[in-house]
Amino acid sequence: MTGSRRSAEERLRRLLVMLPWLMEQGEVPLAEVARHFRTSPEDVAADLELAAMCGLPPFVDELIDVFIDDDVVVVGVPRLFTKPLRLTAPEGFALVAAGRAAMELPGADPAGPLGRGLQKLAAALGDDGVVVELPRTEALDALIDTVTDAMRRVEALVVRYWTPSRDEVTERTITPRQVFHDRGEWYVVADDERSGERRTFRIDRIESVEHTGEQGVPDDRDPLPVGEWFGDGGLPRVTLRLTAAATWVTERYPVDGIVELGDGTVEARFPVASERWLERLLLRLGNDAEVVEPREWRTLGRHAAARLLARYAGERV
Amino acid sequence: MVDRVERLTNLVALLLETTRPLTLVEIAGELDGQYPDKDATRRAAFERDKAALRDIGVPIEAVVLTGHQAGASAYWVDRDRYELADLRLEPDEMRALQVAVAATRPTGGQDALWKLGIDAVDGGVEITASVPEVAALPVLRDAAARRASVRFDYRGKSRHLDPYGLLLRDGFWYVVGFDHEHGEPRTYRVDRIDGAVAAGERGEFSRPEGFDLRAAFTTDPKQLGAEGDATVARVRVDAGRAAAVERELGAERIVARRRGGVIEVEVPCANVPAFRSWVLGLLDHAEVLGPSEVRAHVVDWLTGMTTTTRRKRSRSPRKAS
Repeated sequence: MTGSRRSAEERLRRLLVMLPWLMEQGEVPLAEVARHFRTSPEDVAADLELAAMCGLPPFVDELIDVFIDDDVVVVGVPRLFTKPLRLTAPEGFALVAAGRAAMELPGADPAGPLGRGLQKLAAALGDDGVVVELPRTEALDALIDTVTDAMRRVEALVVRYWTPSRDEVTERTITPRQVFHDRGEWYVVADDERSGERRTFRIDRIESVEHTGEQGVPDDRDPLPVGEWFGDGGLPRVTLRLTAAATWVTERYPVDGIVELGDGTVEARFPVASERWLERLLLRLGNDAEVVEPREWRTLGRHAAARLLARYAGERV
Repeated sequence: MVDRVERLTNLVALLLETTRPLTLVEIAGELDGQYPDKDATRRAAFERDKAALRDIGVPIEAVVLTGHQAGASAYWVDRDRYELADLRLEPDEMRALQVAVAATRPTGGQDALWKLGIDAVDGGVEITASVPEVAALPVLRDAAARRASVRFDYRGKSRHLDPYGLLLRDGFWYVVGFDHEHGEPRTYRVDRIDGAVAAGERGEFSRPEGFDLRAAFTTDPKQLGAEGDATVARVRVDAGRAAAVERELGAERIVARRRGGVIEVEVPCANVPAFRSWVLGLLDHAEVLGPSEVRAHVVDWLTGMTTTTRRKRSRSPRKAS
């Protein structure tokens, strides 16, 4: 019997979702059940065999009428567990937040299927007053539309792009592949002609955009998983010692490794896009961060702070 | 002894089917031989099962009996509270929710879809967004929907709030509601709530007619307390960054256009760390003009970075400063 590594709670939770679904379907190939619930046919079979043994007097052993015949799951007379368990608080929140966030994405239509689905959801889950704002401005919207449109048509665009890490504006030809929003910013993942690599660009840093009319190669690669949106190449690394107040950066930026030093302090190693990027990071972290390695960057934050202070030399109100 | 999954399944079935609350003795009798015989071990096993079932969302009701069984607890599951209401979703609405979950990938999203009978999708969405997750959010949403008051600790003080709603703004979740101690609406940042949120009973308050969460948020002058009263800072931005800042903030935030392309913008600053982070990200292309306490805050922050050497010296003895 497989599935012994899974906890009893986990197996029951799955059963209480799987049984009503099976009753709705009637007959389903075992492989299809496994695919739907992202598990193995062996685990499904083990759980259903167990379910078939459940029973209460006077229906011992026949509470749940389910069997597997020739790799097809067959459900007989539905008696119990005909309806799925209500949504838990985290599940309800997940659906509401996902739906409302999707409604803020470019192109969403409140009168469309998502809007209608959310209304039905609200009727079931209660009027909770959840509002999701993804920051948009008219100018940004126009850019997102242009980029998304080019992505759909696989068209290369010529953009003037500001790179804060070098503080320069360059002209590049990019083919957009994926558009996403993360923590208040909009990004496009695109093939960058100059470097020949797939890069992530912040859409609000695109100064101008021109169509090329050039048809690119359709992309059969799957979209990047969330964690790999901000890929890096052979970039130099910096090791920072971070107090508890600054450890959020380890969640926000890619990290090679983290060592806990106790009292909430950690040492983390980051890829460094450029010295300018590191300067900005150090300025924002202030005294909650300290460069451990390499040596030449140990005074980078202090020098950047001194440079900014020069701007504030005169008093203003 | 039977498999624990089997016992748990039978327990759910029994509590769903029963027409009256059952005591543990009655439950053990029905599930013949599935619970230990000794009172203490039986009670321990049942308590463990009850906790496991509540954990996965089975709403087990309990009542203390009177009469000849006085003092004994009895249990049942209310079918109406157990079963998911049929949402009557059309196929295109299911597809839209499926895409929404695929576009945001929230924790628990896949389980929620399964309960609605919707398959999950792994990829193929063109535009995606990440929504920050904070442990307290599900309880707060549920409480807001049920009109149940909540209590939580925030900045070392215990708070009592009627939650009117939740707002995700600038990458942070806020809960907006009527604060019992202050006797007026208040906003709290959800990720700064300490520990667990305790929610009360359904229908403890009603939300004012036509309550507008966004409006309540912006007009609350002490929105995040303790950080000073300034809500908007004026920032001068060099010509080189002006276009990007205008795109980010929107033209309506520009309060002055100076010679050579320099602009002055008004930026919310009640969330001081967020504001400071933003303005320092512009490096020496931007300068906070006012209010004076916000400008002073940025200057102090930078000055602190140029003068603090004690900590560095103690940890890196080789480095001279």
